[in-house]
Amino acid sequence: MEAILGNQVMFILFSAMIVMFSILTVTSRRILRAATFLLFVLLSTAGLYFMLNYQFLAAVQITLYAGGIVVLIIFSILLTSHIDHKFDRVPAQKLIMGVIAAGSGIALSLTTLLTYNFVPANQEPISVDMNTIGKSLLNYGDHGFVLPFEVISVLLLAAIVAAVVIAKRKKI
Amino acid sequence: MNFAQFLKTDKLMSADSLILFFIVATVLVGGAILFSTFMAPTSSNPAKFEPYECGIPTKGTTWLQFNVGYYLFAILFLVFDVETVFVFPWAVVMKELGMVAFVEIVIFFFVLVLGLAYAWKKKALVWE
Repeated sequence: MEAILGNQVMFILFSAMIVMFSILTVTSRRILRAATFLLFVLLSTAGLYFMLNYQFLAAVQITLYAGGIVVLIIFSILLTSHIDHKFDRVPAQKLIMGVIAAGSGIALSLTTLLTYNFVPANQEPISVDMNTIGKSLLNYGDHGFVLPFEVISVLLLAAIVAAVVIAKRKKI
Repeated sequence: MNFAQFLKTDKLMSADSLILFFIVATVLVGGAILFSTFMAPTSSNPAKFEPYECGIPTKGTTWLQFNVGYYLFAILFLVFDVETVFVFPWAVVMKELGMVAFVEIVIFFFVLVLGLAYAWKKKALVWE
């Protein structure tokens, strides 16, 4: 019973953090602060993954999104010359339209979530620990992913070459 | 089963220790901040809010535009960060799978080393 209550408390805590920092991200008028709030949104999402026992995905979320993407975003902000620019207050008309758009999105998601009848799975939960992921990633037989695994390296190679080509261009 | 019922199943990680962690962290950090707020003597003068800089008043904004080189390093870091995600599961099962896993990772690394060699050749790793 205690663990059940604990899960609910943790879920509410993480969701509240995600919602709060998401709102701060879009309402902050200083772009560097918005990027920092985005970092907290991504970290709280990793917390939700940990709750669902998705350790691998949570680790990916922290290393890639919180560690990599946010660094990239912050560097691209620091590269622009208008870092200290403080955005003007949003005009009331735009604000109302934005709230209506966001509110209808919330309403749609909520009605779908609350009216949908979720069917509990009968089969045993498949464990997604590192061992399973590693084995299926390197398995060359049926249901193996060794070809995608090798193709990923080609994709990463293309990313490196593209980054170098774009960044080392003589004239911008 | 709706979502509230799903939260009551045992398919989730046990959260008790996490909650304890949150409470302890909040109490410790909050307590320290509150304690220093009430206990520390406060004084305020204009010089206190100046940036520390041996006597000369600063001119203009403290923000400045960063070198483009940082961006290239950030992208290269991100690519090898993604690579780590795939190397980590490999490292966990490497001992068990033996030679096959080794050959697979050698191919994987070979392609990526080509990319590193390209960046090196194009002098992307040299600071300008």
